[in-house]
Amino acid sequence: MAVYKRGYQRYTGVKTPHRDRMLAFPRHAWKRLMEQRLVVLVMLASFFWPLACAVFVYMSNRADLLQGLDGGFVAFLQVNGNFFLVFMNTQAAAAVILAALAGPGLVAPDLANNALPLYLSRPLSRLDYVMGRLLVLVGLLSPVTWIPGLLLFAMQSGMAGWGWLAANWRLGAGILLGFVAWILLVGLVALASSALVRWRIIAGALVLSFFFVLTGAAQIIRQILRVEWSVLMDPGNAMYRIWRALLGVEALEGPGPLACGLALVVMAVLLACVLERKLRPVEVVS
Amino acid sequence: MQPVAPLIELEGLSVRLGRREVLHQISCRLGAAGAGKAIGLLGPNGAGKSTLIRTLLGFHKPSAGRARILGHDCREGSRQVKARIGYMPETDAFVANMTAVSFLRLLAEISGLPSEAALEKAHEVLYHVGLGESRYRTLGTYSLGMKQMAKFAQSIVHGPELLILDEPTNGLDPSARRRMLALIREMKEAHGMIVLLCSHLLGDVEEVCDEAVILNDGRVVHHANLEEERRANRRFVELEVTGDDKHLAGSLREQGAEGVNEGQGRWRVVMPAGVELEALWALLARHGLGVHKLTHRRDSLEEIFLKAVGRLQRTPGEEALTPKEVPTHGGL
Repeated sequence: MAVYKRGYQRYTGVKTPHRDRMLAFPRHAWKRLMEQRLVVLVMLASFFWPLACAVFVYMSNRADLLQGLDGGFVAFLQVNGNFFLVFMNTQAAAAVILAALAGPGLVAPDLANNALPLYLSRPLSRLDYVMGRLLVLVGLLSPVTWIPGLLLFAMQSGMAGWGWLAANWRLGAGILLGFVAWILLVGLVALASSALVRWRIIAGALVLSFFFVLTGAAQIIRQILRVEWSVLMDPGNAMYRIWRALLGVEALEGPGPLACGLALVVMAVLLACVLERKLRPVEVVS
Repeated sequence: MQPVAPLIELEGLSVRLGRREVLHQISCRLGAAGAGKAIGLLGPNGAGKSTLIRTLLGFHKPSAGRARILGHDCREGSRQVKARIGYMPETDAFVANMTAVSFLRLLAEISGLPSEAALEKAHEVLYHVGLGESRYRTLGTYSLGMKQMAKFAQSIVHGPELLILDEPTNGLDPSARRRMLALIREMKEAHGMIVLLCSHLLGDVEEVCDEAVILNDGRVVHHANLEEERRANRRFVELEVTGDDKHLAGSLREQGAEGVNEGQGRWRVVMPAGVELEALWALLARHGLGVHKLTHRRDSLEEIFLKAVGRLQRTPGEEALTPKEVPTHGGL
């Protein structure tokens, strides 16, 4: 019978497990994000560099194609830690831009029209809500970060053979761990910005400025005070140093990966505090 | 016989918001779980009604005491409680750029309905509350009345056992208000939901609820069984008669009723239990009196409310004819 004819009946059927309920957020959000032209365009643009890298991997493994080329150029065509570091840097920037576009639309609309009490009066905790929203970004950023990274790694392993894989398995693990950490940081920044500023454009700008302003501030402090620890204020630089360690690339001068990791953990905790403060079903004004 | 578990049980509940204690040591037992009943939560603005509801929903942490709802502690058993309730907040609550159907579907899925069932229920409920034709419009374009209906729709989309409604008729025109109250009654009577209705409109509570709790300044000041009150009111009659009524008082006494002549044919009569109005009509006919007006008291809840919040010392005419206060199963 058509719904408009039968009237209201209480739902008495089977209910889904708790973990499935959190997935309702990403399902609905992805659908809406894919309706935004700019998000789709940036996402498509984010695939160009992985494609170029795939061509690079292919070229570097085709000795027949490299015959007759300049020795320096052949030496340049090496798939190693440095190659994946460059790949990760580029894709990390794409991830920030995507998060700046998609992130503000996740929390801000719920806060603008007071929808949180409706979510949180259901069997859903605040942590579940944040996880559900974070999953939206994890799902959006994964196809431009660790998934193409691991595909490139698999491609190189397939073309170079088991020997290369056995010697370089650490690169695969580094790509995965490095990108997961980056996605979590970028996701937290996007959600916290969205929770702080209810105007989406400003919230998007806040996401970008979190990375660029802090980078600028760290550079200024470094130049004026001549101190290396200022890189700990720069999330991009701190993550870059961690990635170098994960990919086995020579470390830079200044704070090591452990100090950088601690600095990022502190940032993540501060961002989580912002979310804890702002994402409440009711605001108490004392 | 097993004692019936109360729907809501408050034991010395205090809630502090910031530096201010909003609820002070509230203790009471409301409703009986498992039955289609409606409980009204009344009180003047700032009495703590919404704070109590939010505490029951686990949004506020009690500073002392405890609150149990549907047999679960509202903090420790929050997830079990929330799985069984539907909540309609007082203020606007929606996502402006979502269509009504997708918003309800999302909320139904969060409540645990499978995706297909959630979509079906979203359509069904929107039709039922009268938003069928506008279900594909974004919620931001809805009028105030439509938003109220959409809020109500989301509270019932998953078929809850307990429906908590915070000022559901706010901003509604008279016909929309009637429709809203009819829907609430339907949820109670036809679908067996228990309704906790928070309102400052006495008419809404009187029309829908079986019992009422009056809060004032963070305390429960009265707990009334409205069904009993209604029965009592049926025995409290206001009369306007024409003709010679000087023997009426004596005849009323013979029937076991008490009557006070207020002059110019106006009478206040308290009928004894078991004596129906037909007996009064027969008595008036026997005296040859013409009846201009015969009403049961319709403003009892208002008087109870005003007395409870200290704005009325006594009901007019009460000194002679005090209607019997109904003992409640809660108490202060």
